[in-house]
Amino acid sequence: MDTTTNDLNMNLFDRVLDKLCLTPIGLAGLILLLILPFIPPFNQEYMLRWLIYCGFIAAMSVGFDFTAGFINIVNFGYMAVAGTGGYTSALLVLNAGLSPWIAMLAGGVSSAILGLVIGMISLRLRGIFAACLSWFFGLAVMGLAIKMVWLTRGPLGLRVPRLFETESNFPFYFLIVILVYLTYLICKWVVRSKMGLAFQAIGQNMDAARTSGIDPVFYRVFNFTMSCAIAGVLGGFYAHFYGILTPDMMHTSKTVEVLAVAYIGGRGSLWGGAVIAFPFIFLMEIVRSTLSHLPGLNLVIYALVLILVMIYYPGGFSYFYDTHIRQPKNRALRYFLNGRDA
Amino acid sequence: MLLEVKNLNAGYGYLQILRDVSLHIDKGEYVGIVGPNGAGKSTTMKTIAGLISPMSGSVVFNGEDITGLSGSAVAKKGISFVSEEMNLFVNMTVQENLYMGAYTIKEKHLQNERLEFVFELFPRLAERRKQLAGTMSGGERKMLAIGRGMMSNPSLMLVDEPSFGLAPQLTTSVFASLEVLIKTGVTILLVEQNVTKTLAVTGRGYVLENGKIGLEGKSADLAEDSYVKKVFLGV
Amino acid sequence: MSKHNMSVTLTWLKTAPGLSIVISIAVAVAATIDAGPYLLVNMVVTGGMLALVATGLTLMLGVLNIPMFAHGEYFMIGSLTAYYIFTPISEFILEHPDSWLVTFGPFIAIIGALIGGAIAGVISEKLVFGPLRRRSTDNWVMNSFLLTVGVSVLLINLHQLIFGADFKGIVGYWQGMPISIADVYVSKDRVMSFLISAVIVALFYLFMTYTRTGMAIRAVSQDITGAEIVGIDIEKIVLLTISLACALAAVAGGSLLFMYPSYPTVGLEPLYMAWFVVILSGLGNILGAVAGAFMVALLKVITMEYVGAGWDFVVPSALIMLILIFKPSGIFGSDVRGVLDK
Repeated sequence: MDTTTNDLNMNLFDRVLDKLCLTPIGLAGLILLLILPFIPPFNQEYMLRWLIYCGFIAAMSVGFDFTAGFINIVNFGYMAVAGTGGYTSALLVLNAGLSPWIAMLAGGVSSAILGLVIGMISLRLRGIFAACLSWFFGLAVMGLAIKMVWLTRGPLGLRVPRLFETESNFPFYFLIVILVYLTYLICKWVVRSKMGLAFQAIGQNMDAARTSGIDPVFYRVFNFTMSCAIAGVLGGFYAHFYGILTPDMMHTSKTVEVLAVAYIGGRGSLWGGAVIAFPFIFLMEIVRSTLSHLPGLNLVIYALVLILVMIYYPGGFSYFYDTHIRQPKNRALRYFLNGRDA
Repeated sequence: MLLEVKNLNAGYGYLQILRDVSLHIDKGEYVGIVGPNGAGKSTTMKTIAGLISPMSGSVVFNGEDITGLSGSAVAKKGISFVSEEMNLFVNMTVQENLYMGAYTIKEKHLQNERLEFVFELFPRLAERRKQLAGTMSGGERKMLAIGRGMMSNPSLMLVDEPSFGLAPQLTTSVFASLEVLIKTGVTILLVEQNVTKTLAVTGRGYVLENGKIGLEGKSADLAEDSYVKKVFLGV
Repeated sequence: MSKHNMSVTLTWLKTAPGLSIVISIAVAVAATIDAGPYLLVNMVVTGGMLALVATGLTLMLGVLNIPMFAHGEYFMIGSLTAYYIFTPISEFILEHPDSWLVTFGPFIAIIGALIGGAIAGVISEKLVFGPLRRRSTDNWVMNSFLLTVGVSVLLINLHQLIFGADFKGIVGYWQGMPISIADVYVSKDRVMSFLISAVIVALFYLFMTYTRTGMAIRAVSQDITGAEIVGIDIEKIVLLTISLACALAAVAGGSLLFMYPSYPTVGLEPLYMAWFVVILSGLGNILGAVAGAFMVALLKVITMEYVGAGWDFVVPSALIMLILIFKPSGIFGSDVRGVLDK
């Protein structure tokens, strides 16, 4: 209706928001996350620990969705890829005396290389078999981590120096929130560019994409490599936050956790998983710790939610948000939810 | 009346293709539906066969309402559908495919009778009974599909584009086999793009355009109709 | 005539199935000579069990197009059922050593496992797969896969919640002296479990090849529309297939209870292994799955013998990946459904 005036009215604030891929509500959410640790009861250390785990899963689910939601390939070894990054980083710190910050990036590089390999060899495979291949890859990597005791100390785990030399969880919390946002921002930038269209074309119909001149090889491998690089850096964070790294981190069930959050959040949205992870994982942690005489209950709820979402609401939370909440009558509210459309 | 279709509306998802299609077939008739590509001929057949459930309208077969029944339930009522894609079981032998066609018949000796009948009609299939359906030529597969359709001893056969992708002499032999079927008392509803041929062999015909029945009448009359001549026969 | 047969055999030997079977037999014989016959016994017992699980998996994949991730959990259900049936029986046997239950009690437990698996399959279809199929079959393979991931997490944690995480095992099914075969003493339980799996696989093969219903299942797997056209009730076949597939996994779990006590994640290893088999042997191919099961079992046993315990994930999965790369349709691959991207 009044797009012209909108264009003129697009002030600096809106433009910056747009570049940062945020809507006003997104910015509000981010600010909320940043002040959350000062609000009781969230200022307690154990709650912060949970929140950091939420943030880790949130960032992982964004990276996961970057592959699953766009080129439609489920990377079933995603946690193993992250674990590779974590181990690389940890070993570099322990054996080469690197600073954890640089080692984290090196972990990202190692995971990217792993992703490149998986991406290359799964190229010809149909979706589900590409998933299987990455799964087997993950199993093999986890098996290596267990068995190469001389390097990884096997199931005993590695003691890893933490990123910040403090007992407090505060700095870690802010770091993970920044990492969540950065992951989202980088993925969103790529998806917004013309690459995003190519990804979607490949995800929906490989053949049609090929005939319309999109080279699936490049885009598929690029996508895979990038999402694995993200997982690697996050794996490094995981290692240098918990201070102990066991092969358990690479277990398929951990990937399932990321996958569930990504799908409940809504595939192909990037932000859905990140938004849903905080309340969802947090609630699960509460259930786990308060009902500790009922072990596994949190995962039962988890699985039930995943099943129900997959059957009855495959679009997930982002789809619900887009169809029911996003377009209110009130103009101010609409601006708040959508930002100014460029 | 064997089959009566009344005001049928159907399509895929939200895409409506058929609009108020009504047609009827009497026992022993040989009826053709002709029309251009995308007119909804195959959709009509699939809806009658139960592969698509209609949005509204009714399909009555032998005095029984079969609207919205599943494909297998329709098959059990005695309607057999020979689809354009044939839908053969490619990793089964010819004989297994034919036996599967008689799935609705429980008695083994009746199945064997039907098998003899089909083999008599298509000696070619008898020669290749042990061959896998997927390894046969296009014409043979078409024969197999029609043969499989006859195995259940249907009272109505829906035959969708039997000449599609076939060489002319094969087309002739496929039409000849349908001719034989009619003589055995089977009722046939035929959908074809080959308008001349269809109107030459069938007794009655419908012209389907844009999902609607445009014209109907005796095939001989339709063949002489100036509109049909102009649009389909290019005369 | 014999010359002709010879040449047929020779050409078969040059094909991938022939070559791989011959190599496997050669390797098996060499390893047996080198390490002792117990290796062969282990391979045969593991292979028989794996054949059951893998046939079920290949059935789900070939007929219903469901890449089952929860298949191991039906194995778990089988072992759990067998445990709860057999425990009272074994107590009874202790008091009445002359009872007919000494011989037939184990069968009751194993048949109970079979029935339990079939029921679990029916419930899963009614509550999970059926609703998804009725809702939408878009992107079916991936969605149903994710659904089975949810089912897997659910069943594992329900087990933990209700029955606890401890090992629920038995000392053995059949008492008495081990049987001596070629200078190796093999416990009665192992012999029986192999016989049971052999009989069941054979019966299953005959059922699929010669009976009207078995043919209908194959028909559905080859062309679902064609099957509907000839009057096969798809819903019934789907239900039957799922219950059959789950029953096969469950009976494997039941008959192996003496080796694998029941605990929540007992199904993971059979699941991985069965997936290896399915990838190795191609989809929807029963005989291929049986041959593949023994090959994977051989691979596992040999790895354990020569590389060391714990490597039995790494080596097979590396090999399977190679197969996926170079022969993506599997060694016995059928041409019906490829794994390649269309």
